[in-house]
Amino acid sequence: MHKKMAFSFPDEVLEHVFSFIQSDKDRNAVSMVCKSWYEIERWCRRKVFVGNCYAVSPRMVIRRFPEFRSIELKGKPHFADFNLVPDGWGGYVFPWIAEMAGAYPWLEEIRLKRMVVTDESLELIAKSFKNFKVLVLSSCEGFSTDGLAAIAASCKNLKELDLRDCEVDDLSAHWLSHFPETYTSLVSLNISCLGSDEASFSALERLVRRCTNLKTLRLNRAVPLDKIANILRHAPQLVEFGTGTYTADVRPDVYSDLAGVLSSCKELKSLSGFWDVIPDYLPAIYPVCSKLTSLNLSYATIQSPDLIKLVSHCPNLQRLLVLDYIEDSGLEVLASSCKDLQELRVFPSDPFGAEPNVSLTEQGLVAVSLGCPKLQSVLYFCRRMSNEALVTIARSRPNFTRFRLCIIEPKTADYLTLEPLDVGFGAIVQYCKDLRRLSLSGLLTDRVFEYIGTYAKKLEMLSVAFAGDSDLGLHHVLSGCESLRKLEIRDCPFGDKALLANAAKLETMRSLWMSSCAVSFAACKLLGQKMPRLNVEVIDERGPPDSRPENCPVDKLYIYRSIAGPRFDMPPFVWTMDEDSGLRLS
Amino acid sequence: MGSTSTKIKLRTSDQKVFEVEKAVAVHVIHVHSVSGDILSKILDYCKKHVNSAAGKEDISPEELYEWDANFVKVDQNTLFDLILAANCLKIESLLDLTCQTEIRTTFNIKNDYTIEAEEAVRRENKWAFDMLGV
Repeated sequence: MHKKMAFSFPDEVLEHVFSFIQSDKDRNAVSMVCKSWYEIERWCRRKVFVGNCYAVSPRMVIRRFPEFRSIELKGKPHFADFNLVPDGWGGYVFPWIAEMAGAYPWLEEIRLKRMVVTDESLELIAKSFKNFKVLVLSSCEGFSTDGLAAIAASCKNLKELDLRDCEVDDLSAHWLSHFPETYTSLVSLNISCLGSDEASFSALERLVRRCTNLKTLRLNRAVPLDKIANILRHAPQLVEFGTGTYTADVRPDVYSDLAGVLSSCKELKSLSGFWDVIPDYLPAIYPVCSKLTSLNLSYATIQSPDLIKLVSHCPNLQRLLVLDYIEDSGLEVLASSCKDLQELRVFPSDPFGAEPNVSLTEQGLVAVSLGCPKLQSVLYFCRRMSNEALVTIARSRPNFTRFRLCIIEPKTADYLTLEPLDVGFGAIVQYCKDLRRLSLSGLLTDRVFEYIGTYAKKLEMLSVAFAGDSDLGLHHVLSGCESLRKLEIRDCPFGDKALLANAAKLETMRSLWMSSCAVSFAACKLLGQKMPRLNVEVIDERGPPDSRPENCPVDKLYIYRSIAGPRFDMPPFVWTMDEDSGLRLS
Repeated sequence: MGSTSTKIKLRTSDQKVFEVEKAVAVHVIHVHSVSGDILSKILDYCKKHVNSAAGKEDISPEELYEWDANFVKVDQNTLFDLILAANCLKIESLLDLTCQTEIRTTFNIKNDYTIEAEEAVRRENKWAFDMLGV
């Protein structure tokens, strides 16, 4: 191990060695060793990941990695999911497609998250990349089924078409018929987000029948229950399946058909869908439950007893998404039945109701934390919490890597003591030393941020809403959280002081989002001036920020580091603070 | 916000005791696996970098780069121990420096990056092509 090796490898050998290095972090490290390693690595990097599409330009990516086959791009900030990013903000993929179409025809995979994808982009993809194989669009919008038709018609080698949580203009269900009859390479199809219009069942059936390598099929709501049996009959090899509407008049023949065909799917590991599910049809899936590792019931509006029955049949469950209809009692059963559970997401069935409609409290989360030793990722919506519960959760489950708690009503105090929940979340960050993602809620003072800054050393992403008392809170986080990369804040009394005092920190982070806080326009200008390599973008639909006094707080602020400089595709309500501290209007 | 002038004590595997400023040693440290010699070198490194960053020492980036290059001109055993200690003490910049040096030494590679070029690549890697763990 300590022998000195006094020879150097020829480039091809190095390239071969590098081909075993998949992780971006490792490849980045390799590129730093010396100039020739940088050169070799950049020519053989096949997968490129760009966490913020505005941090680098398409041209820069292509110049550095001339032969990549797969690209993943992320666009809008996460708070776009809560409608905090106005339409037209940006995140357009077309410039990327256009540059890549020109640069190399051998691109095979495109994965996009929170980007605006137009039919024009899809048509360009279909036309430009002859060996195109994978298209994954996650939380994207801007396209219609016409664009999908273009992909279906032209991409002869398409293996994966995954539209998860996209907003698609459903012009015609017949886009599926654009897959030629000779096309058989589909492995994964997720159309669950498509509309409820009459789908082309026969085209779908024929597609499934001839694509014998199909492993993942997630249908949309339009596919009725009685059609599922016909579709599944041709795909017993499926590993992941998402039903359409899971309701029908209760007919014995439909039921037995369904039960029969499901039980012949010996490879099924993941189920989803279940729109409008009626309990009578649920037992049809019991035969496959023992093999299930992932179950998404977030659309299943069934009550706790039926959920309990279902979950008790799934001892190997690793991932569960469910509505709060499961209630504390259901989560207690989950805790005792599913010892392999790693990820749990509990969504609110009635988030806007004034009163709780179900008996789901902090007790459910405590039960699962105590009972499931492998639990590491939680997203939990509830209406009450206590410091005591959080401390118990933290102590019993120090292996949390993602902890997102959403107490529905902002500034809700500990229901037992009426105190803030600082101590509870403090325990989470203190005991869960590998915590990488945290979402806070409830009544919180600057204290909680002091705990976070002190203990959350591996935290990469923090989401904060309606919390804190002063700039000190923000300062604790920015000065203490060494691994912090994404910080998103809304409706907190954080202002200029902490931001300006920690300006340098912002260059170590991917992005900072602050909306409805107390950061003044003057501070934004100053930040833009001080930190030329940051894009400091003010988003304000009320009109130009300089039409108001300088000390007026801006509506929304999005700051991100970039090697591409300011962007030029901003809508009229976004201003970038540049070095001249003036305004750049789009 | 927070004092940097407090001193803390470190005891090594061979029972040597070091007293250092808190700014230089910012973490709770387990040094029982690190020998006195190695810890001494590491403290030199930390002191140099903290002083230079705080402006307490007048040293240009090029001079610091040069100092770093000399710092790692040690025999491979020592280099290896420095890597382990930097990893254990979680001093990322030192870990980067020593690992790269180890790779370069093992493969007989000369680091032909200029300081600006290296910084530019590092920035591009981190700002454009960096993945989170979440």
